[in-house]
Amino acid sequence: MITKQLRYEALVKALHGDLYRYAYWLCHEKHIAEDLVQETFLRAWRALDSLKDEKAAKSWLITILRRENARRFERKRLEMSEYEEATITDNLSISIDQGLENHWLREKIAQLPSEYSEPLILQILGGFSGEDIAAMLNLNKNTVMTRLFRARNQLKEALETEPVKRGTYNG
Amino acid sequence: MDDLQFRRALYIDPKNQDPEIIAAQQSDASKKQFAHDICQLDKHIEQALKVPVPDDLCDKLILRQSLANHQIHKKKTRFHIAIAASVAILGGILLNFMQASTAYSTMGDYALAHAYYEQGTFSNNSGNQVSLTALNQKMSAFNGKFKQAFGTLISADYCRFGGVKSLHLVFQGKTNPVDIFVTPKSEELTFIASFNDKNLHGTSLAFTQGNIIVVADKNEPLTEWQKNINNTVAWSI
Repeated sequence: MITKQLRYEALVKALHGDLYRYAYWLCHEKHIAEDLVQETFLRAWRALDSLKDEKAAKSWLITILRRENARRFERKRLEMSEYEEATITDNLSISIDQGLENHWLREKIAQLPSEYSEPLILQILGGFSGEDIAAMLNLNKNTVMTRLFRARNQLKEALETEPVKRGTYNG
Repeated sequence: MDDLQFRRALYIDPKNQDPEIIAAQQSDASKKQFAHDICQLDKHIEQALKVPVPDDLCDKLILRQSLANHQIHKKKTRFHIAIAASVAILGGILLNFMQASTAYSTMGDYALAHAYYEQGTFSNNSGNQVSLTALNQKMSAFNGKFKQAFGTLISADYCRFGGVKSLHLVFQGKTNPVDIFVTPKSEELTFIASFNDKNLHGTSLAFTQGNIIVVADKNEPLTEWQKNINNTVAWSI
């Protein structure tokens, strides 16, 4: 019991940040992201014995989180319009917190179709390889490659067509 | 490696350490510049992706888990208590049941036990006599009466027979008192026509309204008693 508790706490400490960020980029809303992470870890606790390989913990947790997120849409389909509104206001509040530095790029990332942004986030934040991402998202490896390419390509193009803002980035 | 392939490979993974890619970068300055740019872009994306994590999230997660765990634990304890209580109640009922019914499973066993229990209470020659009227008053509780007196009735009293209110008659016998029990129909004890042990023997008569059980010592002719009862008892319904 105590070892399970310690294992769980170690897992939380090590991975809650990554998981929260991933959740944030899935739903674009701070509070929903927090709820998702809470649900994910609660499920993880219940199933902790099934986690044999600690190295796989991150992808395991992300898989749980993605499932939780999908469940949210099953539950709350009717609240969709409300949720989108929240997204807009929240992105603004983050920009105030963070300054303008990342705000513009964050908006661009948020505007990416989720099938492009998700592999990118997994690669950059999660540090997963193309194969890992393909396995986690249930996709063909080539599809993942193409999406990674398009994601970066779109962001780069967006950067290049925004010359005023560009200085703040490349500087 | 052509330019398009090179760009595509870096777009897919800027940290690509493929020897071909590294070689292409070293041979061509513009490719090197592109690799540098895309790495910069990735750094910016990484910066942008790193949204601030709420400070208390970690503590919240641990707290919530321990609360949930506590709840489960409490539920489990409650469940265990419920199980223990159920077992105790079941045990109690079973014990009760065994004491009430398995010790004396037949009317005969009970009648013998009852007779032994009260053996010293009545003496055969006490001189007491209960009148027929007094007897019939008591018999009315069972909707029965005796048309005429037979033998010498020493005592007539209600008693508990296998948990049922019954009438216990004690007659003067040849050597020892004769016990006669008038009991209403009961499902607790099984009817047994005749029974005996080392000292006593007895018979039961079944009527629609009840049973009459005679217990006496072995000197006593039971058939005589049986005949007397059969001839004198009358049931009102």
